[in-house]
Amino acid sequence: MSSRKSFIKQAGLALFSIGVGGVPSFLAKAAISNKIIKPYKKKKTLVFIFQRGAMDGLMAVTPFTDPYLKKARPTLFIDATKTSNKNTLIDVDGRFGLHPSMAAFEPLFKEKRLAIVHGVGSPNNTRSHFDAQDYMESGTPFNKGTASGWLNRAVGLMGHDATPFRAVSLTSAMPRSFYGDNEAIAVSNIADFAIQLKGNKIEAANAANSFEQLYDETTSALLNKTGKDSFDALKMLNKTTIKNYTPTNGVIYPNSTLGNALKQIAQLIKMDMGVEIAFAESGGWDTHFNQGTDAGTFAKNAADLSNCITAFWDDVAAYQDDITVMTTTEFGRTVHQNGTGGTDHGRASCAFILGNDVVGGKVHGNVQALSTENLADGRDLAVTTDFRSIFSEVADKHLKINDDKKLFPDWNGIQIGVMK
Amino acid sequence: MLLKKTAVIFLPIILLGIVISSFIYTANYASTANIIIPYKKAGFTEREAAAHLLNKFTFGPTPTAIDAVVKMGIENWFKAQLDGKINDDSLQQILSKYDALLMTNSEVLAKFPRIPKVVKEAIEAGVIDKSMVKNNEVDTAYAENNIAYKQTLQAFMDKKGYRPQKELFRQFICKKILSAAYSNNQLHQMLTEFWFNHFNVSLTKNQCAAFIPAYERDVIRPNVTGKFEQLLISTAQSPAMLFYLDNFNSVGENEAFAKSKEKLQKALDRKAEAAIEEDPTSTKAILTEKLATNKKMQGLNENYAREVMELHTLGVDGGYTQTDVTQAAKILTGWTIYPMAEDGPSKGIQKIIDRVGVENLQAKGFVHQQDFLFAVNRHDTKEKIVLGKKFAAGGGYQEGVDLLHLLATHTSTAQFICKKLAIKFVNDNPPAILINKMATTFLATEGDIKQVLITMVSAIEFWKKDALTEKTKSPFELAISAVRATNTNIIAPFKLYQWITKMGQKIYAYQAPTGFPDKAAFWINTGSLLNRMNFGLAFANEKIPGIQVNLAALNNYHEPESAISALHIYTKLILPEQNVTATIKRLTPLINDPSLQQKIVDAANTSTSIPVSNTDIEENNSSMEAEKLSKKIARKNSKNTDTEMSNTIENNSMLAQVVGIILGSPAFQKR
Repeated sequence: MSSRKSFIKQAGLALFSIGVGGVPSFLAKAAISNKIIKPYKKKKTLVFIFQRGAMDGLMAVTPFTDPYLKKARPTLFIDATKTSNKNTLIDVDGRFGLHPSMAAFEPLFKEKRLAIVHGVGSPNNTRSHFDAQDYMESGTPFNKGTASGWLNRAVGLMGHDATPFRAVSLTSAMPRSFYGDNEAIAVSNIADFAIQLKGNKIEAANAANSFEQLYDETTSALLNKTGKDSFDALKMLNKTTIKNYTPTNGVIYPNSTLGNALKQIAQLIKMDMGVEIAFAESGGWDTHFNQGTDAGTFAKNAADLSNCITAFWDDVAAYQDDITVMTTTEFGRTVHQNGTGGTDHGRASCAFILGNDVVGGKVHGNVQALSTENLADGRDLAVTTDFRSIFSEVADKHLKINDDKKLFPDWNGIQIGVMK
Repeated sequence: MLLKKTAVIFLPIILLGIVISSFIYTANYASTANIIIPYKKAGFTEREAAAHLLNKFTFGPTPTAIDAVVKMGIENWFKAQLDGKINDDSLQQILSKYDALLMTNSEVLAKFPRIPKVVKEAIEAGVIDKSMVKNNEVDTAYAENNIAYKQTLQAFMDKKGYRPQKELFRQFICKKILSAAYSNNQLHQMLTEFWFNHFNVSLTKNQCAAFIPAYERDVIRPNVTGKFEQLLISTAQSPAMLFYLDNFNSVGENEAFAKSKEKLQKALDRKAEAAIEEDPTSTKAILTEKLATNKKMQGLNENYAREVMELHTLGVDGGYTQTDVTQAAKILTGWTIYPMAEDGPSKGIQKIIDRVGVENLQAKGFVHQQDFLFAVNRHDTKEKIVLGKKFAAGGGYQEGVDLLHLLATHTSTAQFICKKLAIKFVNDNPPAILINKMATTFLATEGDIKQVLITMVSAIEFWKKDALTEKTKSPFELAISAVRATNTNIIAPFKLYQWITKMGQKIYAYQAPTGFPDKAAFWINTGSLLNRMNFGLAFANEKIPGIQVNLAALNNYHEPESAISALHIYTKLILPEQNVTATIKRLTPLINDPSLQQKIVDAANTSTSIPVSNTDIEENNSSMEAEKLSKKIARKNSKNTDTEMSNTIENNSMLAQVVGIILGSPAFQKR
């Protein structure tokens, strides 16, 4: 905290804490509104993307040489070699192929910054979205009562002072991963991070001034401290910059929930707001019906995911050394397609990890031939990498959190070498 | 013979015992007839005591509430709140339009089916074009197809008389907001929320969501001041809880199950052997783990058994072990849901019932009570030991009831529950001496919640003058207290719900079984605090659609003689019997600055409105219409008050500004 206070003085923010009847804050704000304030020193950032609904890992990254898969998915299987007028898979290593809609990932994979881990999932074989997400987000696959989420515990284990934006979720409600005692915020639109009154800016600015003073004087320690943090934070968030944000390098984000979330995360990172863990969501992966192949529901989602992530990555070009992006999904889908052109709830799926300290350009994990005897319960891609293995490795190598026992209480600590 | 003789000898003694114990019971824990609340001893005036009780046991005082409590008498008011039988006709009148809230679980399933069920039926009925579903080659026409698909499905639902589930949840949420704001039985409302949160279930879990309205209405609400054990049993047997914590499909060891399990196990073993043969190095460990997992997951499910001890009764440090959890889970095997709708949950159970015959269920050892079924065929028949108590083999349904009795009356439970109540009603760190007093009552009265609350209020620790409003309001409490403090008319509650969500409390949607943490640090962070301030401003300025704030009426249309006097009057109205010196001092310069007033008026005159984003449970058209109507009424009213009070727009705007700041101030965040 002390470093931050000294910064505030340097930046002349003391201007704002005006006395009774002093200059209204909106005038003072206007005076410096063009200044870009960079209050905190650069931090390592983990961007965690939860793909809700259970992504079909076998369609995202297809073991295309597997004869069983082709047989199990007569109309869903996509070839790696051109046989029809359909787009083909992008062969990455002779065995696995990226879905054609994920073409944006190919260069990152080739540059060895993007890693794929296949056969990832939970040791708990529940096929309920709710339960599986709950277990994955709490990080305790056999205990529902765990009060905290794994990312909240991660926040607590980083062991240094932080800003109000240390853990930020770009969602309307707090995700289970962020539940817990350490401060985390959920905000779907960072422009809302202000004192505002619909259609009456002056009144809002005025009220902001009164609120700041009231909270400054309150005897309640928590309200006093949080009030200070809030007003500091909203001064640092440069509203003009947020509103007229232009991504770097002419990047255009897809206009989707994930795109908007990642764009705002990029803004927070570039404003040096001290983001260390950012959370975003991607939906629509529950493809029981009409999954499609190179076009259709899955293709649309896959394109959105890969295009959003690559747009983000290009946008934060100057910060890439400090950022790791990791995706997860609660489970995978059945090896066999179902009767309605889709797939049902399965076990393992795959995860994407992007960063300069990632062992990229490789499909990690241990995917067996998809013959019935190798399948979990005779039907699903088996979980050969526990999700905690990659979560803990990323937390350890990227955020320097090496207390596995607290992060994942019942976890054996085996890592697979997906990070340098 | 021996048995009979013993009974004859002991019967009088037992009877005597009952007489004595009931005598002690009446002496110490009389009905609510002679509650003595030591507020005078603690140095409170009657009005201060009334304000304290209103802050603690209601969703916030209304402007006339203190007068009413004083008139009624402090003790009488509390008694009436404990009894919870005050006439609530006007609330019931408002709620009568929410028809779904009176439905049984079966009716809800029939009227508000889940989408997968609808789709299945639509396919069976041939309503949904096969090509829409079966065609995998969805091309550019996909989007159109999708809309057509949705429309077809909607038409099918309309024809069948099905309604979307989100409407059920919307009604349920509206009911909570309206009841909290307008019920005269405020303590019962608060306790309903408290116990719901204690026995939390969540709308985020699809499988149990449809049962949650009835859960609150039939399982929680009737038992909020009764015996804790009754609450515990009712929740344990409710479909919502059985689904939420998975006990509905927990199956135990018995002969029939052993046979099928043996079969399964053999098949798994064969599979494992074959795989290990193929690749002996890498898969062995995995397969062993897999088998262990399969064994663990197929059959016994420990989730409920663990949480019932950790979260519902003993508390995490309550002195139980993992063995106790497993043993308790075995006791509760077979506790499941009686099938309600055709092809609804418990399909497997329906088959069993058909085979046994409904009329034979009882004779075979099944127990059917409302939506609950004890399925004896799924029950573990062996002996169990929990917390050192032996449950003899073959105990059937009764051993589950006995287990819950053991847990409900345990000393750890008394401590855990009483501490939680004290945290709710006193502060985040209640004094041990108070918890002990309450726990003593809990144990002596077999968990009589009403008596525990009386003990709490009668304890001098409850009346600490230097620490009156120590609790931080939850976002829900904040929003409702704003409604109550300003006598606000809620026309359409849904936008309030969205604000409450934005402030960090998505009601009925806390995913973890812990329920929302009841502590200030959970509610207050930089983002949520700004939203609380914004809420105050938006609320007082009537920028929240569906609410009707009449600040003039609050002061009986008496126009304050100056802006300063308005500040004094409204601060005292909204924060009654509180020290408001600091708040008034801070706001005075704001009011005295004439140029600022002009700026506000100018800005107000050029105001444009920005739509607030919707959350996932959308409003239907009728509520939108209601909101439009409310806006109209609001506008009309403000015109009327303008003439009645000959008030200038400036003053109204300034008044809204002042009230907005009071509602967003630190003082109003506390109760």
